[in-house]
Amino acid sequence: MPTDADQRPSSPEEPLAELRAILLGPDRAAWESMRQRLDNPSRRAEDVAGVLAEAVRLRSRVHSDVKLRRALQPLLEEALQLSVQSNPRMLADALFPIFGKAIRKAITSELDGMLQSLSQTLEQSFSWRSLRWRWESFSTRKPYAEIVVLRSLLYRVEQVFLIHRNTGLLLQHVAAPAPEGAAETKDPEMVSGMLTAIQDFVRDSVSGADSNLETVRMGDIEVVLAYGPDAILAGFVRGVAPRKLSRVFQDVLDSIERKKAEALHTFSGDTSPFDSCRPQLQACLLGQGKLEKPKSGSWGARALLFGLPSLLLLALLGWWIYSASMQRRWTDFAHRLEGEPGILLTHTENRGSKFYIAGLRDPLAADPVSLLPASLPRDKVEFHWEDYHSLVPRFVAQRRLTELQDQLQKRAFRFATGSAAIPPEQRFLLEDVGSQIISLIQAATALGQTVQIEVRGNHDPVGTEQFNAVLSRSRAENVRAALVTLGVPAARLIALPEDLDKETCSAVREEERMFCRSASFRVTGRVIGAQ
Amino acid sequence: MVGQFGVGKTSLVRRFVDSIFDERYLSTIGVKIDRKDVTVGSATVTLMLWDLAGEDDLAQLKVSHLRGASGYILVADGCRATSFDKAVELQQRIADQLGPLPFVLVLNKSDLRDRWEVRAAAIAEQGWPTFETSAKAGSGVNEMFLALAGKLME
Repeated sequence: MPTDADQRPSSPEEPLAELRAILLGPDRAAWESMRQRLDNPSRRAEDVAGVLAEAVRLRSRVHSDVKLRRALQPLLEEALQLSVQSNPRMLADALFPIFGKAIRKAITSELDGMLQSLSQTLEQSFSWRSLRWRWESFSTRKPYAEIVVLRSLLYRVEQVFLIHRNTGLLLQHVAAPAPEGAAETKDPEMVSGMLTAIQDFVRDSVSGADSNLETVRMGDIEVVLAYGPDAILAGFVRGVAPRKLSRVFQDVLDSIERKKAEALHTFSGDTSPFDSCRPQLQACLLGQGKLEKPKSGSWGARALLFGLPSLLLLALLGWWIYSASMQRRWTDFAHRLEGEPGILLTHTENRGSKFYIAGLRDPLAADPVSLLPASLPRDKVEFHWEDYHSLVPRFVAQRRLTELQDQLQKRAFRFATGSAAIPPEQRFLLEDVGSQIISLIQAATALGQTVQIEVRGNHDPVGTEQFNAVLSRSRAENVRAALVTLGVPAARLIALPEDLDKETCSAVREEERMFCRSASFRVTGRVIGAQ
Repeated sequence: MVGQFGVGKTSLVRRFVDSIFDERYLSTIGVKIDRKDVTVGSATVTLMLWDLAGEDDLAQLKVSHLRGASGYILVADGCRATSFDKAVELQQRIADQLGPLPFVLVLNKSDLRDRWEVRAAAIAEQGWPTFETSAKAGSGVNEMFLALAGKLME
């Protein structure tokens, strides 16, 4: 029976091919399979997929090799970008647990800061210091709130610790120059470890796994803590730390985390890679102290700045006090005038440097000038009075007395030439004059005054001087005696010869000389104004 | 430094370390941090010692305090076999938690050796670097720190 080999056409290559098949047959199949796997992209992908995760894990263990990370970085960035563009919600949902918490924390911190600022602003609102700050805000064109924060929060960051979060070991420590009397800086390494331990203690015991201890306060020292994935920044602050300090710390820590990410990941006790962080940490040694004392050379400027306005202020204050005092005196004077009988004030005011008083005044009323107190100068007051007759009883009686006096002093008795006897035709005057004198005495007595009436005898030019002197006295005594007879008190009447000081009668005609031969009356002894 | 309650961890280091913190920290927050500088060859190694409150039936060791440790000291009381068992248990838990880390076993109270309950065979069975110390006499303590620092530097 013929075999297949017998039936195949013979060829010079066949023996070689058979030999090759015998020698390499199994390997060729494997090679062929391998070639197909290499040539087939989908199979090659399957192979890589099977080992990719393990390969990446192995590569990532080599800390010093950053090639894989660098190769993946742009791909990851691009993938994230595409993911956000195609379905932003997915990434938002994934990040929400992180961002939501961070945003809540930021808002809480901001609100705390606002409340702190508001509280202090209210406390300072009505003080002299707040007025100074408002002036500074006005002159520097800065918001008032910023000035308040700058000037009111007194604090000093005394020490800053950069701590490796995983080990609690100190990476760097900076301290402000210790002022006199300040506490000594204790072993920073141990403080660093203990801070980490306390942080762990609080987190484990109180706050829950996701929270961090943000501030610790003891007396006037506050520890402000900021957290990054691999490091903690802790600042020891003396005084009242502003809320914004936490943000400053966090920004510095974020910057260090970015720059030193590799060193933080691979930290094994060598802190030298973090020496370059010292300037950033020193920048955290912030403080807001009391305002600096002015330099000695600025005394002139200070005197000009504060002294001159102070003097002006004092002068204004003095002028105001003097004006108020004078005004009060003038007002008191006006009130006194208003209480004075016979004076009615209608208007008072200040006219420039003078005080103006206008009103109605009875001529019998007291003289306002005489009422001026010594503290009010006469040249500083201007009066304007209109006359009127007051119905005050005293003034009415006074006017009646004056009227009676005037009437009496117009009366006279006429005599014949060379005679001292009251002519019969003149006797009818006696009763009338007598009653006038009695009324006058009564009116004066009612006013508390005492009057006396001089009865003067007069003569004409005829006759000798000696004769006429006797004649004039006789005429006066005759009239007096006649009036006493009618009831006029004798003590109130004085008979006198002609007044030598009086102009001598020089009448020539008889009609004129008749008026010179008389007895007339003059009222004396009145006490004007007596009560 | 870990070990059962009352094995003498704090007493062991009290005379040999620099400390600024009161020992009451141990009973309040469960840890006190000390510092020990040792010289290994030409290098000075600073050991930051976390003296952890001893574990007993009521208090469990805070695992968070072990995070980031470079090495540890297991302390047992030679006079109490249970403290050695606890040390073995703690070593296992720490290894599970942190992976293989350098450590030394300290059998304290060597001044009371005649009362020891811990068997030498049990110690040898573990194959750990072991130091016998006496906090009272101060013996073996510096050697122990030096050995640990050497292992950390390897």
